[in-house]
Amino acid sequence: MVGKSEPLNGTATAKTGQSPSPSPPPATPMSDLLGNFSFKTLKLKTKQQELLIRVSILCLVYVLAFITRLFSVLRYESMIHEFDPYFNYRTTLYLTEKGFYEFWNWFDSESWYPLGRIIGGTLYPGLMVTAAIIYWALRFLSFAVHIREVCVLTAPFFASNTTIVAYFFGKEIWDTGAGLVAAALIAICPGYISRSVAGSYDNEGVAIFALLLTFYLFVKAVNTGSLAWALGSALGYFYMVSAWGGYIFIINLIPLYVLVLLITGRYSMRLYVAYNCTYILGMLLAMQIRFVGFQHVQSGEHMAAMGVFFLMQVFYFLDYVKHLLSDSKMFQAFLRITVTCAVAVGGVALGVGTASGYISPWTGRFYSLLDPTYAKDHIPIIASVSEHQPTAWSSFMFDFHILLFLFPAGLYFCFKRLSDATIFIVMYGLTSMYFAGVMVRLILVATPAVCLISAIAVSATIKNLTQLARAKDKVSQTGSAKGASSTKGSSKGSIDQSQPFQRNGAFALLFGAFYLLSKYATHCTWVTSEAYSSPSIVLAARGAHGNRVIFDDYREAYFWLRQNTPPDAKVMSWWDYGYQITAMGNRTVIVDNNTWNNTHIATVGRAMSSYEDEAYDIMRSLDVDYVLVVFGGVTGYSSDDINKFLWMVRIGGGVFPVIKEPDYLVNGEYRVDKGAAPKMLNCLMYKLSYYRFGEMTTEYGKPPGYDRARGVEIGNKDIKLEYLEEAFTTSNWIVRIYKVKPPNNRW
Amino acid sequence: MGKASSSSTAQDALALFDSFRSAYSATPTTLKIIDLYIGFAVSTALIQVVYMALVGSFPFNSFLSGVLSCVGTAVLAVCLRIQVNKENKEFKDLAPERAFADFVLCNVVLHLVIMNFLG
Amino acid sequence: MSKLVGVLAFLTLTLPFLAHSFSPDHPTDRRVLVLLDDLAVKSSHSLFFKSLQSRGFELDFKLADDPKISLQRYGLYSYDALILFSPSVDRFGGSIDLAAILDFVDSGHDLIIAADTHASDLIRQIAVECGVDFDEDPAAMVIDHTSYAVSDTEGDHTVIASDDFIKSDVILGSEKIEAPVLFQGIGHTVNSENSLVLKVLSASPSAYSSNPKSKLSNPPSLTGSAISLVSVVQARNNARVLISGSLSLFSDRFFRSKMQKAGSSKKHEKSANEQFLTELSKWVFHERGHLKAVNVKHQRVGEADEPAIYRINDDLEYSVEIYEWRGQRWEPYVADDLQVQFYMMSPYVLKTLSTDQKGRYFTEFRVPDVYGVFQFKVEYKRLGYTSLSLSKQIPVRPFRHNEYERFIPAAYPYYGAAFSMMTGFFVFTAVHLYNK
Repeated sequence: MVGKSEPLNGTATAKTGQSPSPSPPPATPMSDLLGNFSFKTLKLKTKQQELLIRVSILCLVYVLAFITRLFSVLRYESMIHEFDPYFNYRTTLYLTEKGFYEFWNWFDSESWYPLGRIIGGTLYPGLMVTAAIIYWALRFLSFAVHIREVCVLTAPFFASNTTIVAYFFGKEIWDTGAGLVAAALIAICPGYISRSVAGSYDNEGVAIFALLLTFYLFVKAVNTGSLAWALGSALGYFYMVSAWGGYIFIINLIPLYVLVLLITGRYSMRLYVAYNCTYILGMLLAMQIRFVGFQHVQSGEHMAAMGVFFLMQVFYFLDYVKHLLSDSKMFQAFLRITVTCAVAVGGVALGVGTASGYISPWTGRFYSLLDPTYAKDHIPIIASVSEHQPTAWSSFMFDFHILLFLFPAGLYFCFKRLSDATIFIVMYGLTSMYFAGVMVRLILVATPAVCLISAIAVSATIKNLTQLARAKDKVSQTGSAKGASSTKGSSKGSIDQSQPFQRNGAFALLFGAFYLLSKYATHCTWVTSEAYSSPSIVLAARGAHGNRVIFDDYREAYFWLRQNTPPDAKVMSWWDYGYQITAMGNRTVIVDNNTWNNTHIATVGRAMSSYEDEAYDIMRSLDVDYVLVVFGGVTGYSSDDINKFLWMVRIGGGVFPVIKEPDYLVNGEYRVDKGAAPKMLNCLMYKLSYYRFGEMTTEYGKPPGYDRARGVEIGNKDIKLEYLEEAFTTSNWIVRIYKVKPPNNRW
Repeated sequence: MGKASSSSTAQDALALFDSFRSAYSATPTTLKIIDLYIGFAVSTALIQVVYMALVGSFPFNSFLSGVLSCVGTAVLAVCLRIQVNKENKEFKDLAPERAFADFVLCNVVLHLVIMNFLG
Repeated sequence: MSKLVGVLAFLTLTLPFLAHSFSPDHPTDRRVLVLLDDLAVKSSHSLFFKSLQSRGFELDFKLADDPKISLQRYGLYSYDALILFSPSVDRFGGSIDLAAILDFVDSGHDLIIAADTHASDLIRQIAVECGVDFDEDPAAMVIDHTSYAVSDTEGDHTVIASDDFIKSDVILGSEKIEAPVLFQGIGHTVNSENSLVLKVLSASPSAYSSNPKSKLSNPPSLTGSAISLVSVVQARNNARVLISGSLSLFSDRFFRSKMQKAGSSKKHEKSANEQFLTELSKWVFHERGHLKAVNVKHQRVGEADEPAIYRINDDLEYSVEIYEWRGQRWEPYVADDLQVQFYMMSPYVLKTLSTDQKGRYFTEFRVPDVYGVFQFKVEYKRLGYTSLSLSKQIPVRPFRHNEYERFIPAAYPYYGAAFSMMTGFFVFTAVHLYNK
């Protein structure tokens, strides 16, 4: 990536060019090159040259960040991906159609039948409001775009904005070179791309921008001690709270950072001003979001911030008293009294609050980050989500590539030049890497820290190397410029002879560094193209002749539902598909991805795992009209309901002890062939997935009823349904819809 | 022995108090006005907490907004005091007008949010 | 022009037919297909048929194996009800078979089946599908040695007199049946899991079912009052089926005969068969006990339109009109036990509806404090009446953010504190700026 090397050399040149010596402008090859770019004709001074280079690089990076996320739009079409974004899209649609007050008070009777869901009070509105504002702004400028296009492209747009913030943040922590490298790294880093491709209209796309913005503004506030920057940080925090539940990370990291600064003796007035203003204003603003409510004063996860707040007051008070009193002995006595009082009061308050239950303990979702084994035993729903599994090393390598070993190098550089800002970035990096190790999904949160720290390493290293590469030139120049005495010449001459090794070494290392960076760029582009651009609602595979085969079964099934069922029909399916059914099929669902009511989900899980007649009673009690299952046996699609079935059993069994997991396993093994457990062969999910499958030949040379996803021939081929009838099966058998029959007329 | 130590602590406390008073009277009037303002805010907050303890926290959002407006005002005033105080070396380049402008801006935001949160 | 006249003529001629055929507004049946084993039945059961015809039914008599019989033509049913007086038929002629008969019932039409000893498997199958199990032994008959009809000719006590009627004025009419009913045929039991089938005429506790011509080798399987002689089924779509174990129950001979029950000295001039079957056939053909519910309305108190969504703690009123068919027209149905539930997985509100005696039922209540998707459910199942199962779905939402109390008195100190902070801020800025 020769392009990348330009600015670093340019800045290095500029910096070394700004030496106080009165020598004429260095006629180095590089500045000759620049001269060829007719800067000299434009009569730009060096500072302006530098600014132009920086701005142009940032513009390129901005555009790069946007276009690298457009693979799926080019390959398939502009559509919303995955599951959660469909809910966000539906709410944004509602917002743009009905206005903000209706949205804020929206009670949805079409999901979680019959409980309904207060959507206005149980979502993070930041993403929807952002997209709606962009939409209204474009409309105001007379661009008649559809809200779906705005939704699809919101995430890449905010990814581009994140690169700009990363630049400023890097500049704040280290210098402009690090800022530029950070912007470039984060533009294509796969860890961030995975959740912000075009079409992935999810909270994280906007939240990472808000996260980085908040951190940048806070560090700036700590560095300058200005109330205005602290206010900016509070507003950034408000935006983050409105966008994503991961704001807990901010409200815990910042107090932790302040605590570390206090412990390492870096207490300063600037810190006091920054933290207090941010905390009070941020807390007030955050409580305006209905979903967050009073958690900032009642939940255990937010107590660290409050504790540090009080600690800061104590520190300030002690500092003030020390300043007032001139006698240190009295001050020591006073110090002892105050500190013991404060600690005692704080401890008592915390103890009373926690014991009386007023301060709620850490919720399961976040507790499982501290204790990764907690979820598997106690909360099967959280454990069942594939994104919540611990991260493997391969995922780290896949998502970070060379940044993984640049990260420790960057840490080294940060420790060499400790300041308030570098301490912050070190803490952010270490804590986020810990959490990234606990849950795959949180690699996203670690990405900005890793990019920034790696940028520091890259920038510092390359700067040192280019300085080495330049140093000989400068010496030879001054030698040639002064050139007077031969003694100087001879001494220079002797230096000249040792320089080439250093210089060649520097060039070699520089070349190696650029090679690594170019490999990084190639890897990121490949990863984006192959792994993270799949809409997952449309599946693609390679046919026998290498041609691309598209499976659009999901949308086929949802549109069938939309057009062929009565408008008030209720559909029962596993909670994964709830949002998509409501958004595209426009039908009422029993459970959906919000998973707020575990008992309701367990009822559905119980229905799926029971025999047909028991399931029929449960379905009648919930007024279910249609049942939807996803089956991958014909295409080999492995994320189907039979593979998720054990989770249904676990979640159902967690609330209804009548469902026992060992009933469905044979010797602890999960099987669907002839040797499977009898309860497995006759449960509703098995019957609905494999109905009429026994007659089907899926692969050449295999018997009929060969399940390609599991790789076995199914055990129960002759399935008869008594209470349900098949309504629709998509063309590749991926989605199957069944109708629940009304009760028998004469019985 | 106890009496002596208690009396010595009492003496210490008295000496402490005296030195406080003498040091404090040396502060400039501007800062004293800010201190008065802070005292007003903190006392209002304490009154509200006592009231809440008596009556119960029914409209909790009103309670929180009342208390936080007092605490916020106090905190922002303390920040202003820090920035305006000529003895603080960290802020000697900061123009007091700039500090005051920041203070006003933050207070405006604070009161706007309090108004929204109040009822 | 002539074509138009022809069409008009056709319409006017068929209008009576169309107006009087079975329809939800006019539920009495008109055209009845009667399938007989043997045309002699037509004359031997003439009293029963005449009673039907006098009430306006058109009976179409056909032999059961007539190859031209069919229930439907081009997808429309040509008859409103079916009477099967052919206990020994093995296969129906034409396009009628078990599935066709069951479809006929499932599409809302009525059925009367009479079985007898040596009933065929087909008749038994039809009965099983309706929830009634005849005795497995084809030659069995119901024998009762204590309540048989005293007779000079037959001494094997197969003609029994039973007065164990179901207690329902709707099914059997308001006039009390004085005499017992004569019965000679096989007995059946009613499937206990089936909640739709009712025993109209049961045997006495001393009856049993066995072959009268052979000796009893094992204890009989059907005994006592578990034996049902005549049963009815009211299906979920309100089709009514009458199943009788005896064809001679309907015969003129039994209608006219004097009878005396064994063990009682009372001699009856006439058995109750005619009264019993006339009243029962009125019920089966929907001349009694057929309810319809119309005009389900609900709205907030004081408003006229039905809202699309309620709010918690709203006051609303609910009303429904219920009519009963009396053979010729709909008359208001009066009862005091009609209840409405406001239901979401369990009833949150259960209220008895008050009536204005003219068929309108109404009540008022307050929406509970829970939000969700509720249903107004009326489940009315009374013995002999059609079941009313009304449900209307309506969502209930919580308060909007501006529907709470605006100023809460308990919070005045907090309002005061916030405003005092604001004024303090103004005063302070003034003082600070102008302080020298």
